[in-house]
Amino acid sequence: MRFFEVFANEQYRELLGQLTARELAQRYKQSVIGYFWVILNPFIQMLVMSFVFVNIFGNKNLGVAYPLFLFTGLLPWNLFSQSLTSCAEALVGSASLLSKIYFPREILVLSRMLARVVDFLFASIILIGMMIFYRHGVTVHVLWVVPIFVIQFLFTYGLSLFLAAANLFYRDVRHLLNLVVMTWMYLTPVMYDADIFPSKYRWIFQINPMAVFVNAYRQVILGVDPPNFRSLAIGLVLSLVVCAWGYRFFKKLEGQFADSV
Amino acid sequence: MSETPEFAVDINHVSKMFHRQRQRTMKEMLPAFFRGGKKGVVDSFWALQDIDLHIKKGETFGVVGPNGSGKSTLLKLIARVSLPTSGDVQVHGRITPLIELGAGFHPDMTGRENIFLNASILGLTKKQTLPLVESIIDFSEIGDFIDDPVKHYSSGMYTRLAFSVAIHVPFDILLVDEILSVGDARFRKKCNQQITDFKNQGKTIIYVGHGLEHVSSLCDRAAFINYGHLEKVGDPDEVIQCYMDKQEQESART
Repeated sequence: MRFFEVFANEQYRELLGQLTARELAQRYKQSVIGYFWVILNPFIQMLVMSFVFVNIFGNKNLGVAYPLFLFTGLLPWNLFSQSLTSCAEALVGSASLLSKIYFPREILVLSRMLARVVDFLFASIILIGMMIFYRHGVTVHVLWVVPIFVIQFLFTYGLSLFLAAANLFYRDVRHLLNLVVMTWMYLTPVMYDADIFPSKYRWIFQINPMAVFVNAYRQVILGVDPPNFRSLAIGLVLSLVVCAWGYRFFKKLEGQFADSV
Repeated sequence: MSETPEFAVDINHVSKMFHRQRQRTMKEMLPAFFRGGKKGVVDSFWALQDIDLHIKKGETFGVVGPNGSGKSTLLKLIARVSLPTSGDVQVHGRITPLIELGAGFHPDMTGRENIFLNASILGLTKKQTLPLVESIIDFSEIGDFIDDPVKHYSSGMYTRLAFSVAIHVPFDILLVDEILSVGDARFRKKCNQQITDFKNQGKTIIYVGHGLEHVSSLCDRAAFINYGHLEKVGDPDEVIQCYMDKQEQESART
């Protein structure tokens, strides 16, 4: 299958590695604390949001400390939103490469996504620190984090491929994306618990895959139960569809990229 | 016929059409929509029309033509970067493009890091690149600056490094676009010598550009493309003569 071409071919794997390294290198070149920003940023974000929310809404009965609750949602959300905004520029930002030499173009998108995954893994260190700080133990169900992550990755990858290609033809995509991501965040239970929403609006969280993923992460990291398999299965199917569709869209337009940059 | 191994590049009746979409912004699209127009007026033109060219293995082939005649489009089609509207392009062997040097460079990374990055873009693994690094640095004459970020390089150093990487990556077919005019006179001479060496090693070289003296001295065969049409293929000097005559006629007419 062409979808796996990038991983099957050693040469393309190397290129993917090099481009991912380049993407990460941008973070620490000409910066004093360099890669540490990747940890500092979400940490400060978490502190500020916790301060505001705890003081406005009081500490709701979440079963866990609000900062911990918030951060388990913030981590996967940041991975998602930063992947989308970064990948949307993947083709536009490599215009000179596009018109110069052939390689499967999805490598440009994938390398940006992988770099965000590395950021995500580093930022996860904070979560571990917070778990220790709040003396919050985990159960064996925490291992479900891996399949949940894979499903989220597929979903994000599909959308990223679509956005990268669309942004090459219409730069409006980039501006629209900022709006969409912001709205999407408020409609995803990152900062709040889905239960505080009036029940007539709760369908939003059922059709919003990111809400499903965020809830699933919380359940397996902070809770003691296995995830909700039914919503996760729906999430998986949806992610596969989005990924396949995004990939097809991307590949169909690939031949026109060089003519359009 | 297209599978005959004696050819490095088979260009079979290739045409390439470009769309020039008139209305790209909302301000232009909306009135057009209300005027009952279809999906925005698109006018198209043929950058290349029915080009049939077969470049032999080991041949140095020149392509000449005025600006906007479709030469660069042809190179892009050979490099598989762009796809033909009709017809097909078959390439037998590994291509290294020498066009737009340094496109893969990252300004914040050092010259050495960029060698690996650029080599991987050209299809080499890190392991394959390692033994070439010293030779690449030598040829580029960058010296100690190799461990500085390339954004501090002069434009000459930049292109020298890119050229050096490109020629060290093993290839069967070299695409050359005006590159022989890189750097100062001394480095240019070195590049020309290198191209001649490749030619003697039996590599296929496709040269596109305005340097007619290069076409005449270097190429075994040449083609003249005029406004997307293939006017003449054959002996370089005859092709150049044909090109000159056409230019002559053009300027006489205006």
